[in-house]
Amino acid sequence: MASVKLTDVKKVYDNKVTAVHDFNLEIQDKEFIVFVGPSGCGKSTTLRMIAGLEDISGGTLEIDGQVVNDLQPKDRDIAMVFQNYALYPHMTVYDNIAFSLRLKKVPEDEVYERVTNAAQILGITEYLTRKPRALSGGQRQRVAIGRAMVRNAKVFLMDEPLSNLDAKLRNQMRAEIIQLRQKLETTFIYVTHDQTEAMTLGDRIVIMRDGIIEQVGTPQEVFDTPVNLFVAGFIGSPQMNFLKASLIRTGDSFSVSLLGVNLALNPDQNEVLTRKGIGSQEVILGIRPEHTAVLFEPDQNAIECTIDVYEMMGSELHLHLTDQNSDRIIVRLPTIDLTREQRQHLSFGNRLFISFPAKVMHLFDPETEKSLIDG
Amino acid sequence: MSEATAKRHMGLRASRAVSNTFIHVLLIVISIIWLIPFVCIVLQSFRVENTGPVGYIIPHQWGTDNYTRLFQTDFPRWYTNTFIAALVTAVLQTVIVLCMSYTLSRFRFKMRQPLMRFMLILGMFPGMLTMIILYRVLKDLGLTQANAVPGLILVYVASSGMGYYVSKGFFDTIPMSLDEAARVDGATRAKILYKIILPLSKPIVIYTVLTAFMGPWGDYVFARYIAFGTSAGKNVAVGLYDWLNKDQISNSYTMFCAGGVLVALPVTILFLFLQKYYVEGVTGGAVKG
Ligand SMILES: Nc1ncnc2c1ncn2[C@@H]1O[C@H](COP(=O)(O)OP(=O)(O)OP(=O)(O)O)[C@@H](O)[C@H]1O
Ligand SMILES: [Mg+2]
Repeated sequence: MASVKLTDVKKVYDNKVTAVHDFNLEIQDKEFIVFVGPSGCGKSTTLRMIAGLEDISGGTLEIDGQVVNDLQPKDRDIAMVFQNYALYPHMTVYDNIAFSLRLKKVPEDEVYERVTNAAQILGITEYLTRKPRALSGGQRQRVAIGRAMVRNAKVFLMDEPLSNLDAKLRNQMRAEIIQLRQKLETTFIYVTHDQTEAMTLGDRIVIMRDGIIEQVGTPQEVFDTPVNLFVAGFIGSPQMNFLKASLIRTGDSFSVSLLGVNLALNPDQNEVLTRKGIGSQEVILGIRPEHTAVLFEPDQNAIECTIDVYEMMGSELHLHLTDQNSDRIIVRLPTIDLTREQRQHLSFGNRLFISFPAKVMHLFDPETEKSLIDG
Repeated sequence: MSEATAKRHMGLRASRAVSNTFIHVLLIVISIIWLIPFVCIVLQSFRVENTGPVGYIIPHQWGTDNYTRLFQTDFPRWYTNTFIAALVTAVLQTVIVLCMSYTLSRFRFKMRQPLMRFMLILGMFPGMLTMIILYRVLKDLGLTQANAVPGLILVYVASSGMGYYVSKGFFDTIPMSLDEAARVDGATRAKILYKIILPLSKPIVIYTVLTAFMGPWGDYVFARYIAFGTSAGKNVAVGLYDWLNKDQISNSYTMFCAGGVLVALPVTILFLFLQKYYVEGVTGGAVKG
């Protein structure tokens, strides 16, 4: 139940590693923010600075408008779920969950009420008398969440809470976190390196690389309009395809030329490029696997490819293709409309044609890696 | 199972049985050798026909005279001295050692590494080296002779911070994230030590208490120096040992044995109760409790 504001927050570790560079972010009350990025990009560091477990080397951190840089974790009124759960091994599940309440000298009958209530929501009532050692990974995770839940803290921090669980349990817990979030109505900051988790959970996603924020936006925004190559490649699975191409300007209209094919851009894109004063140049063309159409016959606007690998995913196929420049392209092809002949055609070495409309094209500058159209 | 493997199994089992028996016999022999002095002392303490050293072990006449006589000497005073010194030292030293270990294990501060190295090196000097200067200092403070007990406590406790190795090693095996979780949950550092770390380190706490108690309880050299011939300031080791000099031995040897038994008593009881933890504590770093 609080807003969090980070202004130029910076972290330099003792060994002179700068883990986080000038981090600027304003998190609204009751918002669910996800920090996502590859390993070592500074997600945990940022989260731990918010929690007060790491000193802030520069900048200011505000919770509810109050600067908390120098406050101890216990005075910040935040709850945190750790990646390795960090349950107190010598205490029962009940005592684990009650620990923070007892420190606050909450009367014992209220402690009882809040603990049993949280246990009920999380479905761990029958384990309350057990020690953490006697619980499975998923149950421990619930206890860890319960421990954070009873606090009614201003901000709820989670550092890769699902990464120690197997795939199935992870999906289940993810759904439960979404439900929990609706019940708790508090501000969430969630760290993960899994873009699926980020997309499904976040109101807004913060994509980080090497201690720098690359993009902040809703899942839809970062998916539709990635501002640079990194974000484009990071969000979405399978990854976006990147092809070398040339942007050609004729008057105020643009087209992309690659592999002997010339694709005209749409009026909106023309307008943006004209406004930015971009001329003819080399570009990197980005196309999502789900945005390509697969043709079995040649077409003047389609690129010719050969099939390398063919992956059956059930409702769709993932085709790994190679174009004439030896760029690798992955496309997703729904199986439902395929005829028998077409299915037979889909095997190693056969030719295939792909095309895509202008509106799904992402163009990036090869030098700056920034998007020419988006952002 | 084929016959050959069956045979091999039998062979293995037989050879294991042989080596087990051998080990047990060896251990029994060692423990007998180790126990003989204790048994002798206990037996001697109940001997009443002769108060000096004799050439046999089993008393001819049994009785508790030695113990009654013991309580007419200064022995109770020495015993109290030792007990107070050991108890106070045990409490203070345990607190200091545990706080020190927690600090060195959990906090990262500028001079941490140099401090640890410095203490390691300092610890290598034999304590005896400081004896003379310590005596002077304590004498100036008026903490020698009849006032030896507070002086001794001061000496015992003063360097206790350096005995942090074992407990710090154990604390290091407790994940840092437990501290962090507790800090987020609203605990102060002291509460974390008290409510999280110590309950998880019971063996080490007990080990620390026991070693802190045992040092003063069996100390001779410092105690002798600081008491400096004043009977009221002696501890048991010094007092009892003085009975073994040429003039007194024939009169007080059996009393010495009785005193020895009484000195061993509380420690033995403590160990019997706490031995489970003690063993865990000594092997602490390797096997997490
Ligand atoms: N205590 C530390 N001392 C020095 N450098 C550190 C420390 N902790 C982290 N770093 C460095 O800071 C950078 C960011 O680390 P951080 O743990 O925040 O990454 P992360 O994004 O959480 O990665 P992961 O997904 O692997 O958890 C890394 O390069 C790491 O090596
Ligand atoms: Mg991390």
